[in-house]
Amino acid sequence: MKVCCSLQKQVSCPSCKTILLCIGTEDETVKVTCPSCGLVGKVTFNESSDASVKVVEIRNLTKSFGAFTAVDALDLTIFKGEIYGLLGPNGSGKTTIIKMLCNLLRPTAGSAKIFGHLLPCKSIMNQIGYMPQDTAIYLDNTVHENLFFFGGIYGMTKNQLEKKEHEMLAFVNLQDWRDSLVSTLSGGMKHRLSLACALIHEPLLVFLDEPTVGVDPELRATFWGYFESLAQKGTTVIITTHYMDEADHCSRVGFLRQGCLIADGRPDELKKHTGTRSLEEAFLFLTRGKKP
Amino acid sequence: MRLRRTLVFSRRALLQFRHDRRTFAFVLIMPLLMILIFGYTFGGDVKGISIEVVNHDTGLPSGSSPLLPTGLFLAQNITQNLDQDVLLLHTNTDSENAQQIVRDGKAWAAIVFPANFTQNFLSFLTRPDLISSPKVEIYLDGSNPTMVAAIIKEVTKSIQTTLKELSATLNITQAEMPIAIEQVYAYGGGETRFIDYFAPGVVSFAIMMVTTMITIILFVNERRNGTLQRLLVSPASESEIVVGYALAFAVIGVIQSIVVLVAAILFFGITIVGNIFLALFVILLLAFGHQGLGILLSAGAKNELQAIQFIPLILFPSILLAGLFWPIESIPSYLQPLSYLIPLRYGIDAERSIMLRGWGVGEIWVDIGILVLFAVLTLSASVLLLKRKN
Repeated sequence: MKVCCSLQKQVSCPSCKTILLCIGTEDETVKVTCPSCGLVGKVTFNESSDASVKVVEIRNLTKSFGAFTAVDALDLTIFKGEIYGLLGPNGSGKTTIIKMLCNLLRPTAGSAKIFGHLLPCKSIMNQIGYMPQDTAIYLDNTVHENLFFFGGIYGMTKNQLEKKEHEMLAFVNLQDWRDSLVSTLSGGMKHRLSLACALIHEPLLVFLDEPTVGVDPELRATFWGYFESLAQKGTTVIITTHYMDEADHCSRVGFLRQGCLIADGRPDELKKHTGTRSLEEAFLFLTRGKKP
Repeated sequence: MRLRRTLVFSRRALLQFRHDRRTFAFVLIMPLLMILIFGYTFGGDVKGISIEVVNHDTGLPSGSSPLLPTGLFLAQNITQNLDQDVLLLHTNTDSENAQQIVRDGKAWAAIVFPANFTQNFLSFLTRPDLISSPKVEIYLDGSNPTMVAAIIKEVTKSIQTTLKELSATLNITQAEMPIAIEQVYAYGGGETRFIDYFAPGVVSFAIMMVTTMITIILFVNERRNGTLQRLLVSPASESEIVVGYALAFAVIGVIQSIVVLVAAILFFGITIVGNIFLALFVILLLAFGHQGLGILLSAGAKNELQAIQFIPLILFPSILLAGLFWPIESIPSYLQPLSYLIPLRYGIDAERSIMLRGWGVGEIWVDIGILVLFAVLTLSASVLLLKRKN
């Protein structure tokens, strides 16, 4: 008997190189229409596991600002469905890495591939969600207008937006503030809206730069629960944080110190390897060379 | 570039204005106040100018001429024809005293008619080859050119009216008139007031200021809040962002122009001779170009405070060099070439030509061409600016 479970597959449109997410079951062939160029094609689902699909491949990535090296010869591969946590103190290069992967900064040396496309590449942009460290939403618009705007620039239709808005508002607990001006919201609410704006178009790869800063513990737990459900659906989530305690939710973490990746592995692996009880202790052990 | 996504940008910007009522009010009320304040203070002609009139004219002895009526006092007729609304007349008998009053600053001018004024006029009529024309002396306080111009205009008008009356009641033909001045106007019918000249300028100026300033502030905020970063990580292209905003400004620009023009028509009764759609088209070109300029300038400002520092930089050259209040010909000749560098100059010139002269594209294509060039250059430069990365 065949187990019926839905599979996802990323394909690149042969005409316009847009990345599409297709859903089907094993050995099924589905008809797919590219939303960008309208090309119709067929996709066959023949792999049952895609845990080995490389979403981000970073090779020797370096960024210098004058004499200061923010990111130093980084090598890293992130797979589909992972929640990868970039951990490190302020100024360790977390945001710089994210900005280079988002094509906002040009690397000094090295390269990065996303979905197999060498950066910079515009065609992968419709599958990327980005939440910057700054609030990055429009203060003089309402919550609803912000969500529709950010969904709209990804080409979402009114119907899709209405459905998704409902879900996002519930997720960030802002249902009662839909028609409020963003400038009247509290700092934490703005932060939550910013997260919703990064996820509304259902991206395959999400960059979240410190998404939990200023969020209360209860909601933080909700956030991590949502990230885990996204990862289960095949979304790859890359998160920066300096809260070591919540990094246990990540499937893999990388410790950054002065632009260098000093450790990379599953949280339990890192703890076991260093003989410590928490990621915080593991980090201190790795940077200071001794147990606290 | 995709139209639908471009419109998403326009829509958001317009919605922002809907919420930010004060900025929207500024956009509409700034030009409205400008046209009302300037229209009422500058626009009306000067009134109640103090004048000393010294009339020494002894008139004409009865029966001395078959041409003119008996007992004609030409000076008196001219005085009576002066517009008492504009000129506040004080009769004086001593010309020295009258001039002293002007020197004391208590009157703007003294008009002196000599004793043989009417007789000279008669002699001049009969023997224009021998005798010079009769003279009215006007002793003026030249410190205010507007007053001087108003006084000369009134006296000239009164002399013309008086002479016309004489030609109408007597058997002198127009050709024989000693100082006949025929005024023929190509445009404006001689009734072009300052407000007519000023209104097209205000429309252009308001669009220029509002578009430039609001664009600078919007883009400074886009950078500072991080929204611009988010847009650059989206599939939207830089040109969609720029054009999206341009369309929003086009809508605002059209609303703004209509408000100013309707106010100018309602309050000052200005008449627009030319094609209103062509006038609006020129406004849009101005708005596009200055939006590009605003994006470029926004790169030079880190916050709103620094953005505000750009105001005088944009404001003064435009007011002084673009011919908003004064004709460019009145600027010192060595500064005149600078006015060619101010895009507003072409906007104002085009708007005046359309509204006052009724000109079409055929006559103002140079202005339109330069404005198109300005818009294309600044908008493409701003797309490149947004594409620039560290």
